[in-house]
Amino acid sequence: MYVIETQGLTKFYGKDRGIIDLDLKIETGEIFGFIGPNGAGKSTTIRTLLGLIFPTSGSGRIFGMDIVRETKEIKKQIGYMPSEVNYYEKMDGQELLRYSANFYGKDCESRINELADIFSLDLNRKIIDLSRGNRKKISILQCLIHRPRLLILDEPTTGLDPLMQAKFFDILREENSRDTTIFFSSHTLSEVQKMCRRVGIIKEGKIIAVEDIESLRKKQLRKVQVEFAYPVKSGEIECTGVIASQAVENNLHFMFSGKMGDLLNNLAGKDIKDLIIEEPTLEEIFMHYYSEEKEHNKKS
Amino acid sequence: MTINTNLYFKELKRYRKFFLAWSISISVLIVMELAFYHIFMKEEMVKMMATFFENPFMKNMMTAFGTSLDVLTNALGYYATRNAIYIILLGPFFSIMLAGKILAREEHEKTAEFLLSKPITRLEIVWSKLAAFLTYLLLLSVMLLLAGSIGLEIFKGESVYRRSAFFVHSFYFFLLMLTFGAIGLFLSLLIKRGRPITNISIGIVFGGYLIDVLSKATQSASKFGYISPFKFVDSGILRPDYGLEWWRVLYFLGISLVLITLTFFIYKKKDILI
Repeated sequence: MYVIETQGLTKFYGKDRGIIDLDLKIETGEIFGFIGPNGAGKSTTIRTLLGLIFPTSGSGRIFGMDIVRETKEIKKQIGYMPSEVNYYEKMDGQELLRYSANFYGKDCESRINELADIFSLDLNRKIIDLSRGNRKKISILQCLIHRPRLLILDEPTTGLDPLMQAKFFDILREENSRDTTIFFSSHTLSEVQKMCRRVGIIKEGKIIAVEDIESLRKKQLRKVQVEFAYPVKSGEIECTGVIASQAVENNLHFMFSGKMGDLLNNLAGKDIKDLIIEEPTLEEIFMHYYSEEKEHNKKS
Repeated sequence: MTINTNLYFKELKRYRKFFLAWSISISVLIVMELAFYHIFMKEEMVKMMATFFENPFMKNMMTAFGTSLDVLTNALGYYATRNAIYIILLGPFFSIMLAGKILAREEHEKTAEFLLSKPITRLEIVWSKLAAFLTYLLLLSVMLLLAGSIGLEIFKGESVYRRSAFFVHSFYFFLLMLTFGAIGLFLSLLIKRGRPITNISIGIVFGGYLIDVLSKATQSASKFGYISPFKFVDSGILRPDYGLEWWRVLYFLGISLVLITLTFFIYKKKDILI
């Protein structure tokens, strides 16, 4: 049984596209990254899973329960962290967290205090008086205190400073080690790279790829930067596998997905001052994905 | 029907100040107005004003407001006429505004995202919020009842009135407020993203009140008045046979029931957009 499973999940807002034909399968204990640019449909997916909005067609199950009909049972097991924190402004942190905990009928006092200590959060201040980062911390606590089996995090790190981000990730890893499944939505790939084993890429409402982070890296895509002794043009190197070549004076930047030996043979006869070959960031890999997708669409 | 006590008590707390401010203001105004009756009768102001009230224009005006000199000189008649402004307008204002925001505000202030991610069904949310609204409506009605009876007892002077008529009159007001509450609850759900309906509420209460007044003033418009809930409150409080009439009660309960049922139905299916 999958923790999250959707089949053809589709949501339209009137005529506006939300998500189209989404098929997702997320396993127990997995940290799943959900990546896409703003407006791609990440939040729509999450809100449909949580029952804030209803699917136009298709279906979804969480822990084997239907996301529309059994939403209350599902939510007993879920911790949700929204991208924008909107809480009852007149409550203080303590009040909000107790209010939250009461919905689960659990006593979460010790966990609240423990986490408040970790994040050095003052729980006696009213939500309205808190900075964005501190509100975000309240949101973290709110989603963790009742020990959920599934965490749904929508852009969880926006507004958190790097130190807090690191603490947050430590806690997520700790939760994950107790078999808590994590659905991690983000447009920042580097943070997903740190946390996730598998990622789904969503674009314009559709899932365009679900990949293992490792296999993505092993796609042998390399980022190459060559400095020549003379000014060059972007077509300087003629070798299969050179992508998105760009020349700036003596420098040539490109992505390379071909055989490394061919590239080196090609370079060997030229007057080269410097050569850097590195692993591209996930961002660059995805940019590559996106551009390939576009070209593919153009051709078809 | 399940009420989530966590949500119910949070709602009571959230609107405590709103309730206190309104209920205390209205109660104080009622007692003050009745104190004025005392002066009105004692200083023989009535006699001085009698000729003024004989003027045909004033007579018509008074009919429009459902009163006459005879009514005004009776403590209960005076209460029903003068205090009408406070109970008949402020009561429904309180009711339509509270009901109009108790559900929609979560969406407007985007806290619905928090609430709906908790283990609670949509129907439980409506039940709990409806229960909080009804609690305050009942409390307000009790306070108005107390303020009215205490004020009447203190300031009635020589005047004699039927206490049962006062209770019946108060019950009509409770039903009137309930109806406006149901209207507020229903309307708030029709507005996208739960934007506040304060202006619409004021318009509806005032509009309804004016329609009622006009329909009483002019014979030709008397049927027209039935589109206003105010028309269904029996203001002939001094009639010897004044009592609860089933068709009036049925009207208020019917409208409230239909609108509240629709509220449940809509909220169960509604996309909550943040």
